[in-house]
Amino acid sequence: MSSHSPLIYHHTNTIRFIHPPNFLPGKTIETVSMATLSNATNIFWQDCQLGKPERQKLLNQKGCVVWITGLSGSGKSTLACSLSSELHSRGKLSYILDGDNLRHGLNKDLGFKAEDRTENIRRTGEVAKLFADAGLICVASLISPYRRDRDTCRAMLPDSNFIEVYMNMPLSLCEARDPKGLYKLARAGKIKGFTGIDDPYEPPLNCEIEIKEDSGVCPTPYVMAGKVVSYLEEKGYLEC
Amino acid sequence: MCFVQALLPPCGGGIFQNIECGENSASEKLRFVNFHRGFNAVGFGRCRKSLLRPITAKEDRESIISDDGNGVPKYKGISVNKLNCVKNEPDSSFTNRPAAFSGKNLSDLSTNGNSKNILWHECPIQKLDRQKLLQQKGCVIWITGLSGSGKSTIACALSRSLHSRGKLTYILDGDNIRHGLNRDLGFKAEDRSENIRRIGEVAKLLADAGIICITSLISPYQKDRDACRALLPKGDFIEVFLDVPLAVCEARDPKGLYKLARAGMIKGFTGIDDPYEPPCSSEIVLKQQQQKGSDCMSPNNAAEKVISYLEKNGYLRA
Repeated sequence: MSSHSPLIYHHTNTIRFIHPPNFLPGKTIETVSMATLSNATNIFWQDCQLGKPERQKLLNQKGCVVWITGLSGSGKSTLACSLSSELHSRGKLSYILDGDNLRHGLNKDLGFKAEDRTENIRRTGEVAKLFADAGLICVASLISPYRRDRDTCRAMLPDSNFIEVYMNMPLSLCEARDPKGLYKLARAGKIKGFTGIDDPYEPPLNCEIEIKEDSGVCPTPYVMAGKVVSYLEEKGYLEC
Repeated sequence: MCFVQALLPPCGGGIFQNIECGENSASEKLRFVNFHRGFNAVGFGRCRKSLLRPITAKEDRESIISDDGNGVPKYKGISVNKLNCVKNEPDSSFTNRPAAFSGKNLSDLSTNGNSKNILWHECPIQKLDRQKLLQQKGCVIWITGLSGSGKSTIACALSRSLHSRGKLTYILDGDNIRHGLNRDLGFKAEDRSENIRRIGEVAKLLADAGIICITSLISPYQKDRDACRALLPKGDFIEVFLDVPLAVCEARDPKGLYKLARAGMIKGFTGIDDPYEPPCSSEIVLKQQQQKGSDCMSPNNAAEKVISYLEKNGYLRA
């Protein structure tokens, strides 16, 4: 898990530091400096004394991202919903970023070619980071088939606050469910580049939680949510 | 094929049933709603009397639906996503309509923008539930004004003041977002528009989460601000115009940008060689005095003005 270090940017002949507050948790940064980022110049980090620790105290939980990945039809959205319900019943604030839902709003300008998928995931990761910084348990539910893109999102979150949940369901099960009829379209050649059919899914190598069938039977949403909640509890996310 | 009827909820946007939640130590936190027994919440997979009946894949319906011995049906890993038409409002109220999953209902999948075959996923926990938990209503406070008008300063003061009242806020600062989500955008006109569009969409998500989202960016063009306003339910977009004369902003010049702009080293700088279109009908206008050094509205006073508005309009309670 990479942790961030202060970033250095070059602006013409001078080297300037920027210190975003989340890189130094709990500390108030007095100075801001000019930075040159790849596409924008003259950007300053705006510091505010009210930070993540204060929000977490208010909510009595720790912000983090639960990133649910898996094939279409593996049950990601179902788990996201049941997890959200379980957390809510414990008085914890969570929010779901669903890949499909985001494509109705923030990511409506993106399609499904490789670079758009990458950008979809990048933006979702950035938004999830904001939600985690706000103190929420942010549940992201996207196929996110490429390892590199998921790892990019992991790198955005400091302090192991990225919890990857792999819905390890066999393709045959997902295809049998086919909740949106997409496997059928893909098999008929009407959708190209559909994950699992003619586009790869790269399973995680080091996920925090793996959900799979138990003796050929898929666990219920309640049981799956319970597994994630236990993990969060164990790691201290459900208290401040 | 199995059809599922969505039930009319007792309150819009969610399906509720009193269930036993048990004791919750988190409820002891200051100003948070106590999670008592009987609090309206949804126990997913437990008491399912008023939830959607489970949808199953055709092939193994019998093996998936089982009884937990108390007459409560359980299901195994089946998505309860409802098919929906293309909407940008996730929390519009339910109606009685059948939802079915099969290859025959492809017309229900939506094409939105550049994405085809996407489905709006509903969830039992909705905005109202989160607002009840937080004892506040999610909204967007959109602070607009020239560079140096005090947007970030007031955003911080507002955030601190609301926090001291036990309210959850989050600031989306234009500069900060350009370090992350919008790092791929520059300052040409279309990039500015896209910057504002994305921030508007994120603000909408935060408001849906129940948070009082404070955005602080110049947002100089009326059209872009209006587009963000249109994303939110009526009343939830609260525009705050920091009406500070250019001369005052330039005298402050907190980032040294006006100096650079006057020297021609920055092009298209708002207020110097790019227009700022003041809002005609902001919910709140914070006016500053003409001369530097004369009585200016302090950030705390400005924050209190916004808080009064929020209080009066019911945003500081569920």
